Amino acid sequence: MEERFSFDPFVLPFTIGMMFIIIYLSIAAGKVIYDLPSEDRKKFFRSLFSWRIFVSIKDIICECLLHVRIFRRNRVLGFMHMSIAFGWFMIIVLGHIEVKLYAPHRLNLPYFPIFFRYFMKETEQTMQGAFFFFIMDFFLLLIFIGIGMALYKRFNSRAMGMRRTTRLKMADRIALYTLWLIFPLRLLAESHTAEIAGGSFLTNTVGYLVGVVPEDYGRGFWWAYSISLGMFFFALPGSRYMHIPTEALLILFKNAGIRSRKKGDGVATAAIYSCSRCGICIDACQISSAARKPKDTAVYFIRQLREGDPAALKSAENCFMCGRCVQACPVGIDSIRLRQNVRELKAPKDQSDYSYLPAMDIGQADVLYFSGCMTRNMPSILYSMKKILKESGDNYLHMDASSTICCGRPMLLSGQIDAARAMIMKNTEIIRLSGARTLITSCPICYKVFCEQYSLQGVEILHHSQYIDRLIKEGRIEVEKSSLNVVYHDPCDLGRGSKVYKEPRRVIDAVATLTSIPSAIDKKKALCCGGSLANTALSEGSRRTVTEDAYKQLTASSPDVLATACPLCKKTFEGVSEGHSAVKDIAQIVVEAMVEKSPVPGKENSKNSSAHITA
Amino acid sequence: MKNIVIIGAGVAGLSAASILKEKGYDVTIIEKKAYDGGNVASWDRLFPDSRRASRLIDDVKRPLGDGVTIHYDQSITSLVKMKDGRIGVKTDSLETIHADALLVASGFSLFDAHLKEEYGYGIYDNVYTQADLESMFNAGKVLTRSGDAPRRIGFVHCVGSRDEKVGNRYCSKVCCVTAVKQASEIKQLYPDAQVYCFYMDLRMFELPYEDMYFNAQKLYGVRFIRGRLCEAAEKMDKSVVLKVEDTLAGQTMNLSVDMLVLMAGMRPASDTTRIATMLGLHCGKEGFLTPVDTFSRGNETEVDGVFLAGTCTGPKTIPQTIADARSAAICIDEYLKKRKK
Amino acid sequence: MIDFGYGITRSNRLNLDEADLTLARKMARREKSFGTCIGCGTCTAGCTAGHFTAYNPRKIQLMILNGQTENLKEDLEKCMLCGRCQMLCPRGISLRSLWSKLYRALDAPHKTPSVTRDIF
Repeated sequence: MEERFSFDPFVLPFTIGMMFIIIYLSIAAGKVIYDLPSEDRKKFFRSLFSWRIFVSIKDIICECLLHVRIFRRNRVLGFMHMSIAFGWFMIIVLGHIEVKLYAPHRLNLPYFPIFFRYFMKETEQTMQGAFFFFIMDFFLLLIFIGIGMALYKRFNSRAMGMRRTTRLKMADRIALYTLWLIFPLRLLAESHTAEIAGGSFLTNTVGYLVGVVPEDYGRGFWWAYSISLGMFFFALPGSRYMHIPTEALLILFKNAGIRSRKKGDGVATAAIYSCSRCGICIDACQISSAARKPKDTAVYFIRQLREGDPAALKSAENCFMCGRCVQACPVGIDSIRLRQNVRELKAPKDQSDYSYLPAMDIGQADVLYFSGCMTRNMPSILYSMKKILKESGDNYLHMDASSTICCGRPMLLSGQIDAARAMIMKNTEIIRLSGARTLITSCPICYKVFCEQYSLQGVEILHHSQYIDRLIKEGRIEVEKSSLNVVYHDPCDLGRGSKVYKEPRRVIDAVATLTSIPSAIDKKKALCCGGSLANTALSEGSRRTVTEDAYKQLTASSPDVLATACPLCKKTFEGVSEGHSAVKDIAQIVVEAMVEKSPVPGKENSKNSSAHITA
Repeated sequence: MKNIVIIGAGVAGLSAASILKEKGYDVTIIEKKAYDGGNVASWDRLFPDSRRASRLIDDVKRPLGDGVTIHYDQSITSLVKMKDGRIGVKTDSLETIHADALLVASGFSLFDAHLKEEYGYGIYDNVYTQADLESMFNAGKVLTRSGDAPRRIGFVHCVGSRDEKVGNRYCSKVCCVTAVKQASEIKQLYPDAQVYCFYMDLRMFELPYEDMYFNAQKLYGVRFIRGRLCEAAEKMDKSVVLKVEDTLAGQTMNLSVDMLVLMAGMRPASDTTRIATMLGLHCGKEGFLTPVDTFSRGNETEVDGVFLAGTCTGPKTIPQTIADARSAAICIDEYLKKRKK
Repeated sequence: MIDFGYGITRSNRLNLDEADLTLARKMARREKSFGTCIGCGTCTAGCTAGHFTAYNPRKIQLMILNGQTENLKEDLEKCMLCGRCQMLCPRGISLRSLWSKLYRALDAPHKTPSVTRDIF
């Protein structure tokens, strides 16, 4: 191949755009890294020079180019993303390879690989060129397939397996349309010079068709191609396509083990910019899919954050914090954390210290049972647990028999960290004083906060499903399997929140017939019951709609029992269950199946079935 | 002769049948259960005058005689509006009946008190519903599960009524009066017992009811506490500890009772939605059937030849139910006369 | 008024005509379900904080409606936001939301935090 020119004014739009975006991204990346808390920053740099960087590279290839996660969720959508991203990436890479092979001295010109076909001329001896011609056309075709699908999706998102798609704003539209334009223009431009620079099945064919355009006007295609590239780069910072460069940074952060802690720390920023507004979370979110109120879904909330829209203060509240959107997000953005950040920002500065709480001595025991605020209203759980604990032979105490101090998680969810800390301290004191080595709770909300926020070294924290599972395994309670059909509903804070999936299922399997439910609402993708404390914006009516919808989906097979392991889920589902499948807690089902041993006097500390207040 | 089918042999169905029979129609009643009288059949005595429920049912049934057939233990499998304007009624074991008019008097069922779990119905030994208590009255023995005479009894009003959390926002109308009646009856049985009524608002809306309230206070010393229970817990001796706020005093309190009676509210009978779907009738958001107009056409529906009576359209007292059923019977008569022309 | 150095016991009677109902109006705007309480007292009976103190969520709503806001903040600080009141409320009042919003309304001097953009 031979060089024809080394410069033409049409490269300017592209070159200026590219300079701009490189400078913009460098400053932005610098700022994000600077914004990291110093401890996290150190962690980040250390991770760059460890083996973890290979994991990051693999993840970046899988996610940014191949879009494996979207592919797993929705093949059509995954293929669409992959064909555009991977196709474009390959065209850029191949362009550079061509320059390296045929005009290595031009590698320093950033525009040269992009407009290679304009500057070079095909000669007789470059048979390798034919290979590149073909492969470049192949990837261009791949991109066209992707764009075709994207166009179709704009008008008919249902066909692509999405019930709803994001509503876009101006900057996004400009970027989207320029992005769509880039490739047809490239084809036209390359086709125009295909006679001279060579082409393959796509460019040659189109070349014949555009051959009628006079040589001088033909350069217009190259201008248009360059302008569309330049415009895309200028539109990039204000558009959702910032996710392309930012996602790589977010992957690096994630693999360095850094999580966001407050609003504006680098990770939060990176997460916000990593959102591609694909809208997968809109379908995942039950407030949008069941209650038909999509306006505060993660994608819109993140956009508000990015634009500095004060509406974010309000929409941060309209979330069950159930984590379905996080689970569904192809980029893995922890939008729950982003909401929590805003809630903490918004919380009153002056917070309670609960100094009115008396010092409590409940006595000594090996095992403590904390029923929690919600279980107080669910005697079916409370009494089943008492029976099981008695049967276990463990020396146990009911920690909050007479009065509960809230575990602190509801307060945390409202962003009032200091107030939550005060309660956490109080409960920690009581637990420590009892000398217990095991703490059992019936409430996943409490369980999650005990595991994550309490420092209880030496005390094993168990949800009652885990405890019962252990009792059955060790043969400490005897159960009989029945033919009862049971569907299990994973409570958000126990399943997605604390990754406890196996134990409750094993327990049910030991006492009844576990009926399977569609995987779209099982385990990691489990539904929220709609009773979550975390949402302070949704009306009772909308909550009920969510509950009714979830109940209907879960009991589609008309099981005898809908089992759950959370007092709040139980209470919420019970409200819509009249005349249909009964809602029961795991503990309740176990007690019904339990073969009680010969009556031994209860081992509950007789002195202390109720808390003793000393001050 | 014109044939009329009535769904439900409760007080409403039976009352309407007697009028229709008098007017010379052939009446067939389809009853889900093995007995007639509906919910009233399981009651002992009725407010305001403490007459026997069985006597009331007898009074309502007396005029029926030959012209009225009651089919028991029948569940309706299909209801079809036919081209000739008649309605085809099919049950699981009967031939299809072609009715010139259909009266839906499917009534109500009591709210399932298990669903207000915090009160411990079905979990604690000594928590009952008002229906359970009526059965005890009927049997002539009101005793705790362990067979003792209760010394302290609590009545909880509005269980499953006026409660958004179970989806029933409406007032069930009769529970307040029933609670006052039962509280007084308990005191007649056990003059030394302490009886509490926990209410949100006391709705004693008709002429004799306020007197019942007055007498409950004056003659029987029933203590009315304005507050809704938040929870009940069982003690070792199987008595039930109640947590409640006396809202008039602004005082939270704990107290224990030997027997807790829940005044379960009214829900539409379980088949109501099914019947409505088969005929194309409207159900309100509470699940009760809605007539064309609540003021002037309270027994008519949008479907020609289908009429409503009794508690299938919403909570009613027995006198109201009887009046409503008679009104429905007259509507049907008018309708059939008009059609003849 | 002349200060005699002693006073007459203040009347316990509230003059609703002169009550300052700014907070009541504000809360009604911010929480739609505020003002639909029927005073059943379930919230208070079940209140986690109410077990330790005289905290009365039912009364707090009435005090707002009556404009008696002097000691409201002190009272509200006893609340643990556990959400039991909301779980129990037969009227379906979003009580947790009400308390959170009240907390913020009483947090003096409270400025609405700004949601700044994160890059540039």
